[in-house]
Amino acid sequence: MAKNKEAKAIRGGIQKPQFWIEPYLFLLPSLLIFGMFLYYPFFRTIFLSMFLTNKTGHAKIFVAFTEKDNYLALFKSASFWASVRVTFKFVFAVAFGGLLIGLTSSLLTEKKYAGSNFTAAVYAMPIAIASAAASMAFKMVLHPTNGLLNNIMGTQINFTGDMRYALGSVIAVTVWLTSGINFIFISAGLRNVPAELYDSAAVDGAGYWRRVWSVTIPSISPTLFFQIIINIIGAFQSFSQIKLLTEGGPGDTTNVMVWSIYMDAFRNFRFGSAAARSVILFLIVMVITVIQFRFEKRGVNY
Amino acid sequence: MRITTVQRRKLQNAGRFVLNIPLMLVILIPLLYTFSISVMPPDEIYNNHLIPTSVKFTNYVQAFTNPYYNFPRMILNSFVVSTTVMLGQMITCSLAAFAFSFLEFKGKNLLFLAVLATMMVPGEVTIIANYLTMMRWGWLDSYRALIFPFLTSAMGIFLLRQYYLTFAKELYEAAKLDGCSNLRFLGSIVVPLSRPALGALGAYVFLNTWNQYMWPLLVTNSRNYRTVQIGISMLYDIDAVSLGLMMAGVVIVIVPSLSIFVFMNKQLINGLMSGAVKG
Repeated sequence: MAKNKEAKAIRGGIQKPQFWIEPYLFLLPSLLIFGMFLYYPFFRTIFLSMFLTNKTGHAKIFVAFTEKDNYLALFKSASFWASVRVTFKFVFAVAFGGLLIGLTSSLLTEKKYAGSNFTAAVYAMPIAIASAAASMAFKMVLHPTNGLLNNIMGTQINFTGDMRYALGSVIAVTVWLTSGINFIFISAGLRNVPAELYDSAAVDGAGYWRRVWSVTIPSISPTLFFQIIINIIGAFQSFSQIKLLTEGGPGDTTNVMVWSIYMDAFRNFRFGSAAARSVILFLIVMVITVIQFRFEKRGVNY
Repeated sequence: MRITTVQRRKLQNAGRFVLNIPLMLVILIPLLYTFSISVMPPDEIYNNHLIPTSVKFTNYVQAFTNPYYNFPRMILNSFVVSTTVMLGQMITCSLAAFAFSFLEFKGKNLLFLAVLATMMVPGEVTIIANYLTMMRWGWLDSYRALIFPFLTSAMGIFLLRQYYLTFAKELYEAAKLDGCSNLRFLGSIVVPLSRPALGALGAYVFLNTWNQYMWPLLVTNSRNYRTVQIGISMLYDIDAVSLGLMMAGVVIVIVPSLSIFVFMNKQLINGLMSGAVKG
């Protein structure tokens, strides 16, 4: 018996008996932080979403499955559905806009030339810029009377205050912000395309666009798919641009879900309803993440 | 006249660069314009100049010296918070990653899954409950509120664990045979060997914390604890007329971000690429 134990210890390469609680002590700081600021608030949010709360966020009246249910109230409200529609428009435009700029900039810098390192640095740079700082810069660019864009076009358009332009403006700012990460991932994907594929295409006499369309894009389709998902999840979380440029308006035209959570909780002090919105946002993002896992297993490649 | 190969290469080079100019301008112009406005005399801003006729740094002097804007304090706040969060994550993530890669214990896989699962929850989803926690604890308007919730991250643990897993198991076993404790092994062997991964984590976390907006906006009310990102956005509310001052503020907060981008480019991009799994 004792001999057996000894042999086991030697085989395991560890002779000193391990202090059994030690591994958990190594994990303790991280688990405490996760517990207090992630797991607890996550369940707390679900809990709150079932209550009417007072102004300090205390759950007061249990309303789940009654006619005052927070979710039911949201599903019945036109403003909620407007916000969902705006969010999906915004997310879709940002995801594909970011992808398009990332793909273009990656293709443009695919072949090295004098100065291509500088160009690549410029394309990657937006990853470093804070969304708040960029929003303020764009506030100036889009300024109705003294801004760059109106100067160049000789107009006085109120880009962030006009129903017709507000959503487009925040989409443009967000695409600018997300272009850096799109460039980094897509150009990394391009570098991994085997050169032989291009060679055989060249032998077949395929022109540039033909090669891009039938060799490059299919070869990097897993990267593109992954990048679209990253863009979508990122776009769902956009806040600074909305807060600093449009405040959700005019009307509900830029009232994306995160903004409506903020308004519900911190302007109207309806924490229960805001919590319900948060849970819905979580479910949407989770479904998208699950779709990504599914596809990643299968691999998007033709 | 025949074109030599060298000439053709030069032409090709120039052609490729020219093709890139339009898109480069789209990325650069908002920032160049911001800088241009920040050094422009006010009357030129209102006469819609694009480039100043003379460069004035009065806006920067104003931003730093006028106590009304409280800018130096906000820069200090951002530095204190970002540095603490960065160092904190380096420590907590190293410890956790060490347990997940070198130690064997009950529930290891389950706990690792619990860590990874946190990546599924966007911060905006838990922000209300976290805000209420801060309110109940009386933590609003303090460094604690800005620092504690961010003292660990699944991305950091994952990044370091992947790196540790590349170490030879024999290294650990040899150290154990010599009677080296786990903590000493981590401190004197693993950490020095994992500098590239720690650098990537550090650059990424510092930048992300420096760039935070929503959480600091919610949990700070007084001028004493506002971070610089909130500060620049409030310059507009305080004084919508001083567009130049506002743009000087934007330039000031972008400089540290850009410095990290320029000087720690490789680390930052490595950190970003492992962080993007989270999205």
